[in-house]
Amino acid sequence: MELTVIQALIIAIWVALIESRCLGYATLTLRFSPLMTGFICGVVMGDVAGAMKVTATIQLIYMGAVAPGGTLPSEPAIAAAIAVPVALIGSLSPNQAVAIAVPVGLLGSYLYQFRFFLNTFFTKLMDKNAAEANDKGLALSIMLVPTLISFCLFIPMTFIALYFGAPVISDVVNMISNGPIFHILEVVGGGLAALGIAVIMHVIGKKSLLIFFFLAYFMSVSLSSLEINTVTYAIFGCVFAGMYILFTAKEA
Amino acid sequence: MSEYIEQFMDEEGTITADTSVMTKPENAPEPITNKDLLKSWFRWWWANEVPHTYDRMLAPAFCFGMIPALKKLYKDKAMLAESFQRHLMFFNTQAVWGGGTLTGVSISLEEARAKALHEGRPEEAVDVTMINNTKIGLMGPLAGIGDAIDSGTVQYIFIAIFLPFAKAGNGLGAVLPFLCFALSTFIYGFFFTKMGYNLGRGAAKEIMTGAKMKSVINALGVLGLFMMGIMAAQYVDVSSTLEFTINQKEFVIQDILDSILPGLLPLLTVLALYLFFDKKGLKITKGMIILTVSLIILAAIGIL
Repeated sequence: MELTVIQALIIAIWVALIESRCLGYATLTLRFSPLMTGFICGVVMGDVAGAMKVTATIQLIYMGAVAPGGTLPSEPAIAAAIAVPVALIGSLSPNQAVAIAVPVGLLGSYLYQFRFFLNTFFTKLMDKNAAEANDKGLALSIMLVPTLISFCLFIPMTFIALYFGAPVISDVVNMISNGPIFHILEVVGGGLAALGIAVIMHVIGKKSLLIFFFLAYFMSVSLSSLEINTVTYAIFGCVFAGMYILFTAKEA
Repeated sequence: MSEYIEQFMDEEGTITADTSVMTKPENAPEPITNKDLLKSWFRWWWANEVPHTYDRMLAPAFCFGMIPALKKLYKDKAMLAESFQRHLMFFNTQAVWGGGTLTGVSISLEEARAKALHEGRPEEAVDVTMINNTKIGLMGPLAGIGDAIDSGTVQYIFIAIFLPFAKAGNGLGAVLPFLCFALSTFIYGFFFTKMGYNLGRGAAKEIMTGAKMKSVINALGVLGLFMMGIMAAQYVDVSSTLEFTINQKEFVIQDILDSILPGLLPLLTVLALYLFFDKKGLKITKGMIILTVSLIILAAIGIL
């Protein structure tokens, strides 16, 4: 499978739509989670099922992506935009794709911060329109200018990385994939899933509620032969949350 | 630049408009309706991170949300320009809990100010510094709650529920968490905007200390931690490949561990990271590097 110019361009535009945040707060999940980007890559490349399997594995290492103050340590969407096509082109395993996603995501976060830096040059334009009580000019300088900046930044960068970089990366990964390095990558991929989970546990921040974590963990481990799906477990979780409210409510 | 506005400017360009013009009949503020609140909430929701800069952070987006409301309240050009400037000053918060609430609170304060000025009671009007201080004072605490709940809990509850779809190669695993999160946060964010508008300055206190709110937040914590337990059991994959033979008896470490307590190693990995964040603060990159390096070493020497 090869990536055409059009395919690379569509994926690049998708990345710019997300990273410019021009679709509103809805872009939060689009940016923090690789799922939708992986899905779009799958649609564009005509292999949704393959793309989703790779993306689900990438999602695991980004489970804890939260951005205190607006900066993420990594950009999961950019990571997926590169790693998923690479994995599809080179027929890589999901765990190998993770090994590509991690460094790409880190580089992506520098690009996102560069966006703030470029935006900063245009606050003067906003101030000028505000001082003139020109609400239309103000609205344009707040919304249109930063969006254009992001498009000029993210479309070319993603396109170049995808169109020229993807075949090279997949060849290199294929070369090393038989041998001790691959075993190490698999171990790292399997263990890194713990990171995001620990981050979320810390963010929720209520130590006294940790017993519910243990409850769920041992429920899932010991009932694994029953193959209970996560939606069912989520219903269990809601029931426990409801019981918690019920038992802790003060008598009126 | 109109000369009328320019006369109120100091050397740095900051406008201090003449509030007495507000008493003129043509400067009567229009009433704020439910639709105006929805419009402002939607505009803030939409702009949110687009104009993020280092010096103002999210203030331009907040101002973008306030524009229609301010236009209804301040018919005088200088008063309007002054209010635009006010809301372009440094501001940073979380979009739903902080931004929704404070959009409502700011509109209610601006409306009270415009009304009092129009009715010729400037001494009773809400002071500009009070509007600024309310925003600055509440943006941090509300953002703390919002980050933990929206991006830290609600988002991952949806992802955790639908991830098996993705794992099975189904596109719904991507589309459903995105739609559920976008819709639910939009809806309760508008609820916060309305609550902020109705309660004015007291709104944030309601969120921070209200007993009902507290138990909802705790219940979300229960659900969030529960789902993390499920995730940890199903997706963290740490197992030992170590085996050796003593006196012709084979020892397979993983089998021994499983006979003691199934799922011990993944649990220990998650708990070790949790304790690391608990002791050292949320240093994600550092945690990731330590974990990766340890896994590489353990895998290379054949323990994992």
